[in-house]
Amino acid sequence: MSTRRSGGRTVRSAGLAFLVGILVIGLLASPIPAQAPKPGGTLTYVVSAEPPSFDAHRETTFAMLHPIRPHYNLLVKFDMPNYPKVVGDLAENWTISQDGLTYTFRMRRGVQFHDGSPLTSRDVKASYDKIIFPKGDVVSVRQATYEMVEKIEAPNPTTVVFRLKWPSPSFLANLASPFNWIYKADILEKEPRWYERNVMGTGPFKFVEYVRGSHWAGVRNENYFVSGRPYLDGYRALFIRAVAAQVAAVRSGQALIEFRGFTPAQRDDIVKALGDKVVVQEGGWLCNLLVVFNVNRTPFSDARFRRALTLAIDRWGGSRALSQITLLGPVGGVMRPGSEFATPDSELVRLAGYGRDIGAARAEAKKLLTEARVPEGFEFTLKNRNIPMPYEPAGVFLIDQWRQIGLRVSHVVQETGPYLADLRGGNYEAGIDFSCDFMDEPDVQLHKFISADRSPANYGGYTDRVLDRLFTEQSRTRDPEKRLQLIRQFEKRVLDEKAYQIYVLWWHRIIPHWTKLRGWKMGPAHHLDPDLQDVWIAD
Amino acid sequence: MTRYIAKRFLLMFPTLVAVAVLIFVLVRVVPGDIVELRLVSGGMFVTKEVVEKERIRLGLNKPIWQQFVDWMVGMVRLDLGTSMWTGAPVSQEIAIRLQLSLQLAFMATLIAVVLAVPLGALAAIRRGTWIDYAVQVFSVAGLAVPSFWLGILLILFLLTYFQWLPPLTFTSLWKDPRANLLQLIWPALAVGYRYSAVATRMTRSALLEVLREDYIRTAWSKGLAERVIVRRHALRNALLPVVAVIGLEFAFLIGGLVVTEQVFNLNGIGKLFVEAISRRDYTLIQGLMLLVAFAYVAVNLVIDLLYAWLDPRITYG
Repeated sequence: MSTRRSGGRTVRSAGLAFLVGILVIGLLASPIPAQAPKPGGTLTYVVSAEPPSFDAHRETTFAMLHPIRPHYNLLVKFDMPNYPKVVGDLAENWTISQDGLTYTFRMRRGVQFHDGSPLTSRDVKASYDKIIFPKGDVVSVRQATYEMVEKIEAPNPTTVVFRLKWPSPSFLANLASPFNWIYKADILEKEPRWYERNVMGTGPFKFVEYVRGSHWAGVRNENYFVSGRPYLDGYRALFIRAVAAQVAAVRSGQALIEFRGFTPAQRDDIVKALGDKVVVQEGGWLCNLLVVFNVNRTPFSDARFRRALTLAIDRWGGSRALSQITLLGPVGGVMRPGSEFATPDSELVRLAGYGRDIGAARAEAKKLLTEARVPEGFEFTLKNRNIPMPYEPAGVFLIDQWRQIGLRVSHVVQETGPYLADLRGGNYEAGIDFSCDFMDEPDVQLHKFISADRSPANYGGYTDRVLDRLFTEQSRTRDPEKRLQLIRQFEKRVLDEKAYQIYVLWWHRIIPHWTKLRGWKMGPAHHLDPDLQDVWIAD
Repeated sequence: MTRYIAKRFLLMFPTLVAVAVLIFVLVRVVPGDIVELRLVSGGMFVTKEVVEKERIRLGLNKPIWQQFVDWMVGMVRLDLGTSMWTGAPVSQEIAIRLQLSLQLAFMATLIAVVLAVPLGALAAIRRGTWIDYAVQVFSVAGLAVPSFWLGILLILFLLTYFQWLPPLTFTSLWKDPRANLLQLIWPALAVGYRYSAVATRMTRSALLEVLREDYIRTAWSKGLAERVIVRRHALRNALLPVVAVIGLEFAFLIGGLVVTEQVFNLNGIGKLFVEAISRRDYTLIQGLMLLVAFAYVAVNLVIDLLYAWLDPRITYG
């Protein structure tokens, strides 16, 4: 009797899910009617965290980008409708020397800071000097990203030259980092840390006010150098930490969008409540969950044991199931699925743990456990962050997968502080790790896997000079085909042969927003989104 | 009386110093590091040198005793220091939120008192009748329902039936009373209901006890009206424990509405507390803990003074 009732509920739930799915697909499929951009209006949106400081050169969080980025410009930026194409922002055009060692940028004329002073190449040089060669107690978290830069020159007010020590295929994309805001040289000269608590840029919006814990507001820059932009009169970013309150804010129309992302359930909630007033943008997300093994602990020091752990995971089945309830989804290797350097599924299935036949993979895993002398019922702990989405479901999924090869795993869920301290201090056996980047670039995504003495983001504690060599080679190889081969070799060694760190799944980005919000196209990274230059609000 | 107040006031200082020492030690025992949380928790790659440089900048490389002395020296100058996360003065961080938290605490207290005293008195006077049972059901329900859950229900109700949500940003009562009350009335109701349940039960039981006293029996035998007996002779005495409960609840509301503030997205002290702890913002946690400790000590003093006012037999010599 109870089984029948339960079955009935399942059928009803499945039916409801199907209807919501159809609705979402319908909304995705139905194009927003074309309309000429309309100037005016104030965009209100949700930001789920607050900026620690106002200085992008020293921060790593989107919480600083989403509210403050509209006050600034970059030298070059990603063209979001054509991502990952790089286009000029303050740069009008640029040339790269034949040897790839000199990048010369010609600046736009007539660009003014919000105080009315003109922008020159001196400002660009001062900003990049602060990022790449910080002095005194100035912190620049991206200093190491630009180790290929020898010096920056500003030979005249409209020209900036970057001279490199070696050719770097990732250099131009790195300059499009959404964190590389251009500051005013005069201010930096007087007070290098002035930008930590103040705002002065050239961007489409001027600063109005910041009320800590509440909101950030900007108003249209009437002297913006792009004619007719921005469309909006202003914007207001509301800081809302609780997810339920974020959803309520969008549902009520007090906010038109949250630029980071919602879960499938939250999307369905908003779609169900707002119907055709809302549209959903979805796509791959440049974030992922991994499992890192502490190679200084037995039996994690044994590559056979680590391989067995990756072989036991049914990633394809997990993707189907978890994508229904979490923001996890795509199966991928070291590069984001669907990105330029990503391994296609046909090749991916040859890596340990990526095969379609999970039965065969688990049989091999059990064989490896026997060879590594790991007994049936072996127990270990998996450390995880206490963030419900998507960390906790991923942890539960992994434990179930490993149970199926006879391992007993305890889930130790910790607050972020102790969790990071344990991972960095080597106080763990296996841990769920993550990465979230702003662009698809092997230098960025692979860095986590090189030897621990070269990468502080590698918590595995291993040293592998083969990986280090492959990383450096791909980083300096300008031929895309050759670079791709090196990346594939790197991937095979990390994920298959050595299985030092293994991927669970990549994330899937879901942004439901009011239909009247126009001129915004979702990218693969939540860091890239809102300069709000082209965004407008329809009637 | 003046001497008593002065003595109690002076006693606040050693209490607060003891609290300060305790807080300073406790926040540093909790694992986790603000620098790593700030620079590394986003999943991006940051070198050890950068992490170390930031640690030095925040003074976290200094010995613990030196950090404590620095903080105490600041305290003597009434300087709570700067937030390690935002770089803004701790006093400023607290001041931004205190107005909202205080107003919400006052509103919730007002709702609680307005509900609790008449309902509790009515239940006591009509003991054993349907009125008593109805009041008891009402108050037990209030105790059983967490205020944040009631808050969620209120929000869902408003969203579902009116497609409306209270304003998400705080507007001062003096600037725009309508916007202010539209935002705060809902959390005040949610919190005030639970608060009133506690106070209603306390009022009822205290009044029942007083109503059994000999002097009340004497009043009845003198033929005084029920209204006069209850208002003039019973309720005033019965309010002593009620005042204590209301006072302690009020102090709790200053920093304790952690979840309710999240539900209504209120920019209050409770939300700031959670953020400070999750970020390991030591200076801010210390400042907030001191504020809460001060609130409790101050409220206790006020309660003692109220006792004397309510019951003339109580004197502080």
